[in-house]
Amino acid sequence: MKTSKTLYLDITGIVLAALIALVCGFAVILVTSSDPLAAIKSLLVDPLSNWFNVGTILNKAVPLIFTGLALSVAFQSGVFSMGAEGQLYVGGFLGSLIAISLPGLSPWIHLPLIFVCAMIGGALFGAIPGYLKAYLNANEIVTTLMLNFVATLGTSYFVNNVFKDPSSGGYARMEFFEKDLLLGKIIPGFSAHAGILIAILAVVVVHLLMYKTKLGYELRLVGKNSQFAAYGGIKTKRVIIYSIMIGGALAGLAGIVEILGVHGTYKDNFSNGLGFDGIIIALLARNNPIGVLVAALFYAYIQVGAQTMQMGSDMPRELAVIIQVMLVLLVSAQAIFTYLKQRYAKDQKAVK
Amino acid sequence: MTILLEMKEIHKVYPNGTAANRGIDLTVREGEIHALVGENGAGKSTLMKILFGLEAPTSGTIAYRGSPLKLQGPRDAIRQGMGMVHQHFMLAPSLTVAENIVLGDELRRGPLSMFRDQLKEQDEIRKLIETYGLKVDPLEKVEHIPVGQKQRVEILKVLYRGAKLIILDEPTAVLTPQETDELFHSIKALIGQGHTIIFITHKLREVMEISDRVTVLRAGKTIATLETKNTNQEEISRLMVGRDVLFSVEKRPAEPKDTVLSVRRLNAVNEKGAPVLRDVSLEIRQGEILGIAGVEGNGQTELVEVLTGLHPASSGEALYFGENLIGKSVAEIRAMKVGHVPEDRQTSGACLTSSIAENLILDHYRNPEFTWGPFIHKKKMKEFAKVMMQLFDVRAASEEAMAGSLSGGNLQKVVIARELSKNPKLLIASQPTRGVDIGAIEFIHREIVKRRDGGAAVLLVSAELSEVMSLSDRIAVIYNGEIVAVLDNDESLTEQEIGYYMLGVKKQQKEVAAP
Repeated sequence: MKTSKTLYLDITGIVLAALIALVCGFAVILVTSSDPLAAIKSLLVDPLSNWFNVGTILNKAVPLIFTGLALSVAFQSGVFSMGAEGQLYVGGFLGSLIAISLPGLSPWIHLPLIFVCAMIGGALFGAIPGYLKAYLNANEIVTTLMLNFVATLGTSYFVNNVFKDPSSGGYARMEFFEKDLLLGKIIPGFSAHAGILIAILAVVVVHLLMYKTKLGYELRLVGKNSQFAAYGGIKTKRVIIYSIMIGGALAGLAGIVEILGVHGTYKDNFSNGLGFDGIIIALLARNNPIGVLVAALFYAYIQVGAQTMQMGSDMPRELAVIIQVMLVLLVSAQAIFTYLKQRYAKDQKAVK
Repeated sequence: MTILLEMKEIHKVYPNGTAANRGIDLTVREGEIHALVGENGAGKSTLMKILFGLEAPTSGTIAYRGSPLKLQGPRDAIRQGMGMVHQHFMLAPSLTVAENIVLGDELRRGPLSMFRDQLKEQDEIRKLIETYGLKVDPLEKVEHIPVGQKQRVEILKVLYRGAKLIILDEPTAVLTPQETDELFHSIKALIGQGHTIIFITHKLREVMEISDRVTVLRAGKTIATLETKNTNQEEISRLMVGRDVLFSVEKRPAEPKDTVLSVRRLNAVNEKGAPVLRDVSLEIRQGEILGIAGVEGNGQTELVEVLTGLHPASSGEALYFGENLIGKSVAEIRAMKVGHVPEDRQTSGACLTSSIAENLILDHYRNPEFTWGPFIHKKKMKEFAKVMMQLFDVRAASEEAMAGSLSGGNLQKVVIARELSKNPKLLIASQPTRGVDIGAIEFIHREIVKRRDGGAAVLLVSAELSEVMSLSDRIAVIYNGEIVAVLDNDESLTEQEIGYYMLGVKKQQKEVAAP
């Protein structure tokens, strides 16, 4: 738990970073656009101007919430996993296999089974770098990044060959799932699918897990000071593996929810970097589950804003990339936060 | 005698409102040894940071050699002829003594001063060594020389830079009695050569032994400056703490009962495979305190870690009520009511970025009393923390405050509270009062003795020989991983005697350990 003062410092820092990133985007618009005001308006206002766009924001935020949560759990436990992308593919793939291979099963049983299998797939794939780190001291940044290739290319091979829907033509995808397996719209006519509800549930669960349970206490303690955790009798190696497996399960959920809510089947390369965006989300949120929710919504809002801007003005949607990159730069410039905190801490401890 | 340094009405208020110095006067005469004493938090460090240009005072004046002093940073202070020997050595272990001394101030020669003039450097260093009798081999690597010599290197470093006023920050904290004597010889030699010394310490015995005058700080203010010969330890400590202090720990003679821990022929190696414990055999009984004396780094750390399950043993056994602790996990050993106060509270003993409550719960969070299924019962945890903070006099804003915001003494009380909260039958306390103020030391010592009287066995490891001697019922001396002596702590035992064992000069005839 943080004291209110450091929490306040954190939030101010992040909001400031988001504002500066936006201002950088505005600067580019001002320089290049013939009607900068219209462009800025279509970037900021249009995404919220109708229900369809709002729904799109929610849909885009859903996988980001899951991958953001996945990485925040790992990061808080001191594991610098970059592997959400790979775990997402493996989880999504496994869930999809279950979806197409058990036709006729009641959706009440089938759907939970799909979710569970997707989580197991992600968790097991996460366990590999977890074991390597805990017992062989392999750097998890390297192993997770490499295993991402194994996952993306491996699943790509299968969906291009063994499990390819014969009727899909040039598309590499599995056959479409039965309709009653897909996640429906929350409200008829509103474009947001039910994934957002599952995502919010996940935020609540992860929050409870991290801050209220014994396991969460262990996870956070190992992340903050593993020496202290070991001194207290916590099996730190096991906790490291748990953390990355929990992250893997959440990443697997990201994959399957995206498939069930948006794509309708497993498509080759369907993620296209959701796992990496999750890193930015977790950084932005400072690993706080509720922060993840806010950050993912903001991130999705900018993405949709870029699309509406492309339609409503002469600016291309790539502007969103500029804003995202600036965000990454500013937020990952941890030095600024550390500096702020150290100054604060120094002032606190000065009497010595 | 001329006045070398005069600090007047120094105030330092940090931006967050903490007033570390609230009107300190310090006058140092040329050629004297001036002791600066005060509890942790009294403002010693802040004052010295101001003097050395590391912090700017909020108000107040500093006059050096009669003229006002404005410092932009430590470089200015060094240029003015001041030098600081920090408590924690700032040396590069892989470089030689000479290289460490000249680091940053190398002599140059050749075109464009491209080359270092190492011969001339060594020449100058040799001269310094001879003049001040600070014996150390300039060509030896720092990692290979003992602690006492490392300190000489630090002193040589400031002398090499031409320091006339030398600040020694708790210089004896890491030294054996013999090494301390040698340090005092060197200090006297420095005075003989016209230097002036500010000697920061909390050991009043040393103040009496070496200083000419002493300035006492309390709560950011100068309480008094006294001529050492006109005062005594009791008076100084009263001024420091603001009340009378018990010097020796009050305790009844031990009434040892059954054996709690019996260590037999314990061996262990470090990560590099070098032996760190050699055939260690010990017995601790209920109701007694066994102190381990020894220069740091002679196997104490490993002994404690092996007994608590943090470090593997290569052979031997440690029977705790007949059950072998070797091979058990940390959690299992903790569950057997073994309390462990680790030597480094900053890294092992506490998580500075967690709340006090989360630090206190470490030993109990699996306990059904504090849980509800997979959940930790937060309310009970906080109540428990509140009770503990009250029982152990932990002064903090609330149980939600970060452990890192606590002073050393209060943080140590958190650690002690946690380890005593389960009523241990064996308490392993490593450096329980290191860097803790006098009030907290008293408190911690009383707690330890109370547990002993309550029937617990206590294994006390301390680098502070006076602590080992005042608390222990028996003393085992460890040297190079070996127990070289087990002594009864009675009137006849002297620090000198233990010192000889600590340095490996003497060794008790080894009795064959009981089978």
